[in-house]
Formats: sequence, structure tokens, C-alpha cells
Amino acid sequence: MTELLVKNAYVIDPLNGIRGEVMDIAVRDGWIVESVHDGAEVIDARGCLTLPGGIDSHTHICGTKVNFGRYMMPEDMRAGRTERRGVMHSTSGYSVPTTYGNSYRYCAMGYTSVLEGAMAPLEARHTHEEFAATPLQDTMANTLFDGNWPVMEAVRDRDVKRAAAIVAWTLAAVKGFAIKLTNPGGSECWGWGKNVKCIREMVPHFEVSPAEIIETLIRANELLRLPHSVHLHCNNLGVPGNYQCTIGSMDLAPDLNPDRQSLYLTHVQFHAYGGTSWKDICLKAEPVAHAVNRKPQVTIDMGQMMFGKTTTMTADGPMEFNLYRLHHNKWSNHDVELETVSGIIPVYYSRTSIVNCVMWAIGLELALLVSNPWRCLLATDNPNGCPFIRYPEIIALLMSRRYRDEELRSLVSEAMSQIILPSLDREFDWHDIPVMTRAGQARALGIRSIGKGHLGLGAEADIAIYPLRVDETDPSRQYRDVIRAFQKTSWTVKRGRPVARDGEILDPGINKTIWVKPKVPDSYDMGKDPEFALNFDRYYTVRMSNYPVQELYLQRSLCMESEAHL
Amino acid sequence: MKVILSAKPRKNPFIPVEAETIIPARFLEPADTLTVAVGNRTRPLTDVFDMAIEGTATDAAGVEVVLRGDTSRVKRVGEYMEAGKIRVEGDIGMHCGNFMKGGEIEILGSADGWLGREMRGGRILCHGNASHYCGSGYRGEKHGMRGGVLEVKGHAGDFTAEYLAGGDVIIHGNCGDMPGVEMKGGSLTIAGSCSRPCGNMTGGTCTILGRVTGMLPTFRRTGTVTREPGGVILTRFEGDVANRGKGTLFIRDWQYTL
Repeated sequence: MTELLVKNAYVIDPLNGIRGEVMDIAVRDGWIVESVHDGAEVIDARGCLTLPGGIDSHTHICGTKVNFGRYMMPEDMRAGRTERRGVMHSTSGYSVPTTYGNSYRYCAMGYTSVLEGAMAPLEARHTHEEFAATPLQDTMANTLFDGNWPVMEAVRDRDVKRAAAIVAWTLAAVKGFAIKLTNPGGSECWGWGKNVKCIREMVPHFEVSPAEIIETLIRANELLRLPHSVHLHCNNLGVPGNYQCTIGSMDLAPDLNPDRQSLYLTHVQFHAYGGTSWKDICLKAEPVAHAVNRKPQVTIDMGQMMFGKTTTMTADGPMEFNLYRLHHNKWSNHDVELETVSGIIPVYYSRTSIVNCVMWAIGLELALLVSNPWRCLLATDNPNGCPFIRYPEIIALLMSRRYRDEELRSLVSEAMSQIILPSLDREFDWHDIPVMTRAGQARALGIRSIGKGHLGLGAEADIAIYPLRVDETDPSRQYRDVIRAFQKTSWTVKRGRPVARDGEILDPGINKTIWVKPKVPDSYDMGKDPEFALNFDRYYTVRMSNYPVQELYLQRSLCMESEAHL
Repeated sequence: MKVILSAKPRKNPFIPVEAETIIPARFLEPADTLTVAVGNRTRPLTDVFDMAIEGTATDAAGVEVVLRGDTSRVKRVGEYMEAGKIRVEGDIGMHCGNFMKGGEIEILGSADGWLGREMRGGRILCHGNASHYCGSGYRGEKHGMRGGVLEVKGHAGDFTAEYLAGGDVIIHGNCGDMPGVEMKGGSLTIAGSCSRPCGNMTGGTCTILGRVTGMLPTFRRTGTVTREPGGVILTRFEGDVANRGKGTLFIRDWQYTL
């Protein structure tokens, strides 16, 4: 039995309605309990801001795509080098760091759970192997179904239950966490050198539209009673004029779940552009944010872009090809058999580019215009918008109008005419930020029930203590202090063990992978479906029996079982 | 001030020494602050070299460092150097003079790979041969050498002046495969022969006075020029057309087969 007592913590815990109380947190064997014995290890928080461990609901840190980014960008490894020290492995890299680099940097910022934004099911093993080397965060993987042939066949036949059964079999086989749709239908079109322009266009051969794929999978998701909703990367990412497509996708979502959203739209910043070309691109954060405000069944994340160098990587292959034609730099493209595609290119977001300035402003405008912070979460689609180590700057931008004005002054004047950011007075307070960085994520991902994202009794003891006294800090003026505090916790506690102090890692750590296993009736078990098996063996390069990821690949696993309603 | 560093005999001379501390400016500091990495261990510089200092200097420009003995495994000598002189009496290891901004490096023997990589200015003179990636960029980077002069009296290896963006590279002997590939600016002169030069070139000038084999078909011939001394007639090419490049290539003699 190991016990820990965090004393004098200034706690903000939105899921339990605690809005800044100085209290003690007792921890036994990794869980928060009523009280501990006298001999327990003590951490004195000295009245500093104490939050539940951070949760990133959309990041790319593990898997084949990320690793190909590392292959492709050896120059990225020249930055961010740290030597082996104590329990820490050596690390390197800035936008696509080594797995340990990701893990340590997240940990220093107080993040204890992360969701890999896109895992191709066929390549799940690699993702799980990298999860094992990301030891200080609990991990989950969004599983790609955007161009899945059996799913698209079920969608064409309007058979929601069969689509649900295929999803259930695949998620359990690859130890995935949720359904991810990246440019649904577009990946299959890309196999023919084409793309879908909006949600009503048809995918060749399968004769289904992205709208049908999205709708069917939202219903299938709820039939399976999965913790998270469908996680959607809309069609037409990064194309001027795409905002209508984004609003159209939101309109597809029925309100099916009282506890959380029915549709999660990720990195919406990239999907809120107006205009017809790069020359007349304009901001459409306002209509998109109003659409979110109108639809309680939708939650979004910002996908904030920050100026500087980064690598973009996504399962949206055609979009990456278009970016390549713009930049003429390196490009990689990958086809994953009957499932999906991916592409990678390096980019530099510059303050002198009108397009980049507009992108920067859209992310912030979205966050400020969505009235409920529970429904617009903080993420950058790491590393696409910028590497996650810049979250503290985004927090400060949201909390301080003065900081925003200062940044706005450094943008090119041509971009300013259309940016409404200067007119937005809203400044987020100390209660909004924990919502946007942990509580909101826990609710959106449906992992509150397993003790994530809060500090109530029975919660998992993931605690982040920031070197910041809320009563003595005015975030709108002292934004530099806010940035500094969120960059480095004074303590990060993971499952009851102090794992980081002042940015220094203390514990090698061992993480767990959270995955789902919907229980379906025998007649819907795809493992026994002759047609599914036949097509599998006909079209895949692997045998169906070799496809599932053995539990051996998961160091610790937490399987969230659900009773499917089929 | 003259600093003479004589390499001590080592038990295992194959273990590389990373000696980025060997630049003139660092010898103005007390000697006990200077360390090198021998394999994966950090050691005082004086563990690896016998050091003798003659005279004094007030700034880096007045310092001359002389390296003696077996320095063929000593890497990163002259990295980020800005002034002064380094004279290597034998061979030198990899990455000599990378990011160099000014001053002079003279190598009496041969240089291993990556000589003058991403060099910004100053002058490197190598009397022997240089190995691969002489005057080039680094893995994944889009810009190689940006300024300065790099002269090799002997031969150079493959990918000489890869991603060259500025400055002059002069090779008196032959080059290996693909010199000047992805060149963007600056000038590359090869007195000897080479194969497949300047693929994907977008700018800069390359002159090859020997024979080119495996000449790329994506260069457009645009006339001849006569070069003094000796009245050598060189054919002028422009390209790389495949890349919409605007580089210039002067070649005396070429064949399209390898």
C-alpha cells in the first residue's frame, strides 16, 4: 500500500464543481480516497494551483505516420536535444520528437492522458509499441474508418447494425478507443487521384457520400454505446470556402447521447475558411462558432495554429498533396490497403503570410466565440498547428486580451482588415482553462467514469500542481507568469506517484492503454461472418487471424466493455 | 599566440573524439575548461592532447592552433569558428569546420566526410583528399554551405557541395557521384572528372574541366564559352529543367552514359 497526501492545494476541479478551494488530497494505491494514515508521503502544494492531470483529446505522437515524420525530418532531430539523466532517456526533436521526448514534455506540462488522433487499424501494432515507450501518459487511439471498405459497403446497404458490428470487431481487434473519420470517403477517392469536395459528393465504386458515412457511423457509435463519440476531421481541410462543409457536417449530427456530444469535430481552425482561393481567403470563425453554439450535440477542439516551424501529418492524403504543391518541399504519401491513407509535409507558419495570420486568428476567435468552454477544447492537432509544448502560450492568449493585442501588432497589416479578434473582449478565467484542458476532454471522451479528469473520491490520482498562486496573479496583465507556470509543473503526480518535479522526471513510469470492446450478439460477431472473412482474405495482405493486436503489446490495459444494442 | 596540440597515443585509436572545443576563441579561456568527448565519456582536452602555448593573444584572430599526430578520428574541429587559424599537420576526422563563420583552416593531410558542412564564411584549404559530403548540407536540411571558400587540392567524394547555397567550392582533383546536387547558389569548380553532376540544380554555377560521365539529360545546351588561361572551350548548359532550375553548368567534355 502506498499513500500520498497533497497538502494546501488550491484546487479547481470543474467536474466536481470545485471553484478554487484550499484542501488536502489523499491518495492510496493510485486512487483518491477520503483520508490516509499519518506516515504517508507528503507534498506541500503551498496554496498553488492544483488541477487534475491534463488530457489531450487530439494529438499525433505515436504510430507509423508520426514515425515516418521522424524519418523524413532528420533535421528536426537537431533541436530539443537532452542528454540521458537519472531515469530519463536522451531525447531529441521539436515537432516530431522521440517518444520519450513527447512523454517527458507532456509530463512536465502536467498532462497525464493523451489520445492519439489517428491510428490506421492495420498498423495498430506499431502504435501500441510506441505507446509502450510513452510511459508517463495513459494512452488511447482513435481508429480510422474513413475509407474502410466493409464499412462503406454496409453504409451503401443502409445497414447501420452491420456497420456497427464491423466497427466493434475492428476496435476490439486493434485495441482502439474510438471511431475516427478523416476526410470520410476522400481517402478512397485519393486512391483514384481524386478527392471529395463536400459531404454530398459520391465516392467512386462504393457510391456512398461522406454525409452517409458520417451519419451511419454516428448511429453505429451510439448503438455500440462507446465512451467517446465519432471523432470527425471534416472534408476539405485547409481549403478556402470549406466552412460551409464544416457547418453541413455539424448539421448531420443527431442528438443521441445525454451525457456527451454525438459528434466531435477536431481541429476546426483548419475548417473555418471563407473565400474561393488563397488570394481571397477570409475568416469564417463566426458562423462556425454560432453553429456550434446552436447545436449542443457537437463539441469541437480549436486546432490552434502558432507561428513557427512544424510538421503536418494527417490521414488526409489529398490535402497533404495540395500543400506539397504549394510549398514544393518534402512530401510523403502512404496508402493503407482497404482502410485509409496518410500524408506528411514540413511547414513554416510565418507572421508575414496573410494566410497564416488568418489561420492564427481563426483558432482564437473560435475559442472566444463558442460560449461554453466545455464545447471548445484546447488542442493544436499537435504537431499540425504547432507542437504541444506551446499550449501554455495559447492558454495565455485566451486569458489575456493585452497579450492578444501585442501579438496582433506583429501581424501583417493586410490580414488585419478581416480579423475580428481585436473586438473580442472575452478573457478566460481560472475556471475555464481547466475545463478546456482536462475536464472538458474527460467528458467529451467519456472517460470520467474511469476516474479521469477530476479529483473527486474514486478518481485516478493524476494531479498537476502549477507554480502559480491564483489570488496573486492577474492573468490579463501577468501573462508571462501564466505561460511560465503552465510550461513546468512544480509536481506532476501520475497514478499516485510523483513523476515530475520542476520539469525533472523522477519516475520511469508505466502507462496503460485504454481501449474498448463492445459486446455484440453472436449473429453480429464479424469474426464468424463468412462474407467478412472471405473479403478480408481476398483483399488484405494479412490473414484475418494475424490481424488482431495481441494483448501482449499493451503493457497495462484497461478495457472499457460496453453492451451493444444490436 | 600559437597553441600546439599533439595527439597522445591512445590505447584504442579508433574511438572517435568529438572536439568542438578546438577553435581559436576557446584557447583564450583557461585550459581546464576545455573538454572533449572520447566515445561516450567527457574528458579534459589535455587527456587526449599534449598542449604547448607560445606567446599571448588578446582576441581569437591572434590565435593559431596547430594539431599534430594522429588526428584522423578527431571530429568537429573548428565548429562555429569565427576568427583565427587552425593548421592540421596530419589527417582530420569528420565534420571539420562545420558552421564556420570566419578565420582559416589548413589541412596538410586528408579530411574525412562532411568537411566544411554548412559553412558560412572563412576559408578551408585541404592539401590532401576530402571524403564524401564535402561542403554540403546536413541530413534533411534544405541549405548547405552558404559562404566562404573551400578548396581541396586532392580528390573529393560523393555529394560534394550538395545543397550549395553560397560561397565557392574548388576541387582540384576528381569528384565522386552527384557533386552539386540540389545546388541553389554559389559556385562549384571541379578541375577533374565526376559523374552525374548538379541534379535538381536551381541556381548557382558549376564548372567541370574534366570529363563528366552520366551527364543528366535534363540540362539544356545554350552555347560555348572560352576560358582563359589555355583557351579551353566549355559548353554551357542551363537547368535542371526537370526542376525549372536556373543554374548554369560549364562542361568541357561529357557523355550521357555512366
